[in-house]
Amino acid sequence: MTPRVLDPGALPLPGAAHGEIDAAAVRLKRRSMAVLRRSLHIRTVDTGSCGACESEIRLLSSPYYDFHRLGLFFTPTPRHADCLLVTGPGCRAMDHALLSAYEAMPAPKVVVAVGACPLGGVFGADRYTRGEITDVVPVDVVVPGCPPSPLALIHGLLLALDRIEERITLQEGEQ
Amino acid sequence: MNEGESGLTLAQLARNGTSSQPMVVNLHMSVAGAGDLVAKLAPIARFADMFVRPAEQGLERVLVFADAQSGGYLRLICPLDKSFPVPLSRVLPAAYQEECELYELWGVEPGGGKPVNRVILPPSAETAEPLRLPGGDRLSSEVRAPHVVQGEAIEFPWGPIRGAGQESLYLGLVTTGEELLDAYLAMFHKHRGLEHRMVGQTLARALFLAERCEGLGAVGNALAFARAAEAALGIAVEPAAEVTRCLALELERIYNHIGSLAALGAATGLSVGQAEAEILLEDCLRLNARVFGHRYIFNLLEVGGVRRGADLAALDSALDRLEARFESLVADLLATNSYVDRLEGAGTIAAEAAHRLGLVGPVARAAGVATDLRRTHQVSSTSYVGFRPAREQPGDCLARMRVGAAEVRESLRLVRHWVRSGTPLQDDWATPGPGQDHVGGPAEGLGWAETCRGEALVHLEVAGGRVSFARLRPAATRNWRAFDDALRARNVFTDVPIVEASFWLTVAGFAR
Ligand code: SF4
Repeated sequence: MTPRVLDPGALPLPGAAHGEIDAAAVRLKRRSMAVLRRSLHIRTVDTGSCGACESEIRLLSSPYYDFHRLGLFFTPTPRHADCLLVTGPGCRAMDHALLSAYEAMPAPKVVVAVGACPLGGVFGADRYTRGEITDVVPVDVVVPGCPPSPLALIHGLLLALDRIEERITLQEGEQ
Repeated sequence: MNEGESGLTLAQLARNGTSSQPMVVNLHMSVAGAGDLVAKLAPIARFADMFVRPAEQGLERVLVFADAQSGGYLRLICPLDKSFPVPLSRVLPAAYQEECELYELWGVEPGGGKPVNRVILPPSAETAEPLRLPGGDRLSSEVRAPHVVQGEAIEFPWGPIRGAGQESLYLGLVTTGEELLDAYLAMFHKHRGLEHRMVGQTLARALFLAERCEGLGAVGNALAFARAAEAALGIAVEPAAEVTRCLALELERIYNHIGSLAALGAATGLSVGQAEAEILLEDCLRLNARVFGHRYIFNLLEVGGVRRGADLAALDSALDRLEARFESLVADLLATNSYVDRLEGAGTIAAEAAHRLGLVGPVARAAGVATDLRRTHQVSSTSYVGFRPAREQPGDCLARMRVGAAEVRESLRLVRHWVRSGTPLQDDWATPGPGQDHVGGPAEGLGWAETCRGEALVHLEVAGGRVSFARLRPAATRNWRAFDDALRARNVFTDVPIVEASFWLTVAGFAR
């Protein structure tokens, strides 16, 4: 499966004027309205991050970003999760936990790789880390950045929602 | 100078030692001599670190002690015979974590047959060879310190994957249902072998890794690394660059203490307090981005100085409002009884335990131990003039929360002073520092910084402009050592997240 990369044009650049940010917010809202026929439940897995990606993930539910308004929620169990949000370079000691979490999720499911780490941008493959997590679980959406901002994460999660929608349509077509 | 019962003083020791950099004394000893000396040093100096390094003749063991009186460090270096005659941790309980690590890294057993815990390698690697000694004797699979769960109690496994946005670690909580009897931690799932990776790298690349050792302490850890490299290469940092580094360090401290408040709000179920703290946290991160170009202030430091200056106008205009909102948040929190009740008496660390375990930073200061490198181990004589370290009692979650609040206040005062008093600060893009293409013979340096979690130490050896050996000792390594003790101190299950939020450590820093 080819990972999807974010369209950088959809995000306001740092230092953008208020007008541009507003326009981006409208685009985001229109898009979320279009895709939000259901909500997305997210389980996070840290495979060896430096902790900054986790900090940005925690801020997703903070008042500034409040991703619940877009139908996005964290869930404490993989059994209820549609989306696995993975940070870190795939430390080998986490292989088993990561794979078990992925396998415990019901289909259709998506994996979102967060930050430069799981793309191999920080550490290479060696006896400690895998470098890229694609060796352990298939990745659907990548959100680059070191760390990616909460806004970029929301964008990535909405892309993941797209993927879920596609899979449901596919499943329905097969039946 | 402190004097122990033995009548030994550090000043006497320093006279017998050699010095490779200012404020660092090296004492080369035999194993037996080192064993004796460690017992005498334990009451008068703070044990800071222990590691093994390759030397000309085989391997050497290095113990690092901090001396608050002289503001320096003492390094005890002895050849690595298989082990000390008695386990070091008998006289230095703080060293147990290092004893366990050395077993897996180098196959060195603590003396006296003391059992070690498997800490780095996953349990599945039953008969692995030592990580840094490929081809060495295989590690015994029979390594487990006694771990007993008896009677009515069960061990409730939690991890390594935990709640949303939490770092991976395994916590074995021994409980009868509500009360916590004991806790076991396995912390190395996230081990990335950073020190191993740095070997052979340029200083710039190794500093990039030091920053990512602990993202929420990027400035502090990179600063300790840069100082180690500068000490090794004899590079002097411009005063303006030095103050700019301190400015970044204090901004990092401010956002971390506010992050801890947000986590405490979440752990106590105080949603409004959590939301208020998160708003403030996001504002701090945005301020970091405006002032230094990155929300977590990555890529600012370099060996020899800083890469860019601060946007002082942006910083100046934000300070007053930030302070007012912070004060109102803290006042509201402390006036909320349901919140204060949850923090009070939870996760208590006594001053004696803080000394015994060599704790550093806010966790030690909340237990009444006044250790702060910004006062005792100053690197430049001008940056921290008039600095007042925080100190609280009695070492519970509330004391740690109060220490955090006091430190934010003090950091804001320092930042305001630097920005408004005309202190020279780097205010533009800097020309690349002298450390970038420095090529020279073998040299070593010790670097330190008071990060938001306490003392970070880096021991670095360089040759030909590349790292030949590195040892990172972030503050988290020391302070996690007290986490299980804090949990054992008469807590219930739901106190665990509160204690964790008040410690505000990172797993990444511990696991390196
Ligand atoms: S991508 Fe960057 S910020 Fe995220 S975990 Fe990796 S090093 Fe840290």
